[in-house]
Amino acid sequence: MLIAYSEDLIKLDPRTEILLLVIVNIVAFTQSSLYIEISLILFLAIVLVTCKCYKPACKWCCIFGLLLILQYIIFPISPQIISGTFAFLSLYFRKIIPCLMIGNMILKITPVRHFIFALQRWHLPQAIIIPLSITIRYFPAIREEVSHIKDAIKLRNISGVEKIECYLVPLMISATNTAEELSAAAVTRGIENPVANTSIIDLKFSIQDYICLTVGLGFIIMTFIVSI
Amino acid sequence: MLEINTDKKVMKGKDLITVGIFSAIYFVINFVIMVSSGLSPYIWVLMPGIVALLTGIPFMIMTAKVQKVGAVFTMGLITGFLYFVTGQFTIVILITFVIACGAAEIIRYIGRYQGFISNLLAFVFFSLGMTGSPLPIWLFKEKFLAQITEQGMPQSYVDILESITTNNMLVALFVAPIVGAIIGGIIAKVLFKKHFERAGIV
Repeated sequence: MLIAYSEDLIKLDPRTEILLLVIVNIVAFTQSSLYIEISLILFLAIVLVTCKCYKPACKWCCIFGLLLILQYIIFPISPQIISGTFAFLSLYFRKIIPCLMIGNMILKITPVRHFIFALQRWHLPQAIIIPLSITIRYFPAIREEVSHIKDAIKLRNISGVEKIECYLVPLMISATNTAEELSAAAVTRGIENPVANTSIIDLKFSIQDYICLTVGLGFIIMTFIVSI
Repeated sequence: MLEINTDKKVMKGKDLITVGIFSAIYFVINFVIMVSSGLSPYIWVLMPGIVALLTGIPFMIMTAKVQKVGAVFTMGLITGFLYFVTGQFTIVILITFVIACGAAEIIRYIGRYQGFISNLLAFVFFSLGMTGSPLPIWLFKEKFLAQITEQGMPQSYVDILESITTNNMLVALFVAPIVGAIIGGIIAKVLFKKHFERAGIV
């Protein structure tokens, strides 16, 4: 999933990405102007394209367009049941698309260790960085475990309420075992060393970071103007 | 001279990793339920209760394994952060989360991290943190309803929402997680006896 991290990629500093995420959150949820929403999506699409994430850019723009059409053309003319159930979901999903776009970009172009290093530069305590990075890393592992368990359950033809128990218990036990192995590996590599880590990565803000942040700031200003 | 670290109260590498892994499981269950509660306002109000019911097991395992200060708070912090990243964050939920996690930590501290009852109580308070999600509807009723109508929600949905936000439902909002947490904790205890203690992981 990670695009090969080559030197000729235009890179965004992970800190810019996090700040953009914060900005986008604020903008998306404190105003209701459709124009700002659309221009925000366009801006993010441009950023994605500059970082060579062509497919995600297209995908998110299409989804956004689809949801707009759903909301303004289809729902008003469809029966109560459909619009009542799905209107909320589609509206909410549309609102979080900017966040998902940035999230998608982060997943594609930023290796996790850059992220962790950025958080360390911000002096976040290890007590938060370590669990956070483990949590994020563990999500795909959960998916894998659940699919293994699903296969095993199919093999044994278990059904009904017992199924829930049969999903949960192996998941918990495997999680515990993973935790044990991971911590053994991590302690061996010096995670409990109170001395600060050195790193081969060097993070610097460059011109594209400043541009993104300035545009983001512009969006926030526009948001305040609109809501006043 | 080498100081052997006898500090048993602070979380170390192994505990942090355990917290991270079980926070991941907690968040996944929480998130799935949160998303499903977008289908109907009724489910949304009961959402903290449903979450409490189903997340008892990862929470209780984690509290059994990490008997130190800050475990619950970190779990809440990570959950809150991940929700923030996916755009579902308000100031209200921030406040309820902080209060809930703080109360849970204090309870655990008093109970000396041992004992099923103190962990269960901590879980009850922790689960109350999720009530911050539907809470703005009661707190800022007019403004909230106006905002979502402006953003294009169909009038029927807004009407249902308005009819739901009675004082009775407010009580239900807070009672549901308490009941759910107790049941969830008991289920966890049953599973502990049946499986986890035999497997040696608790």
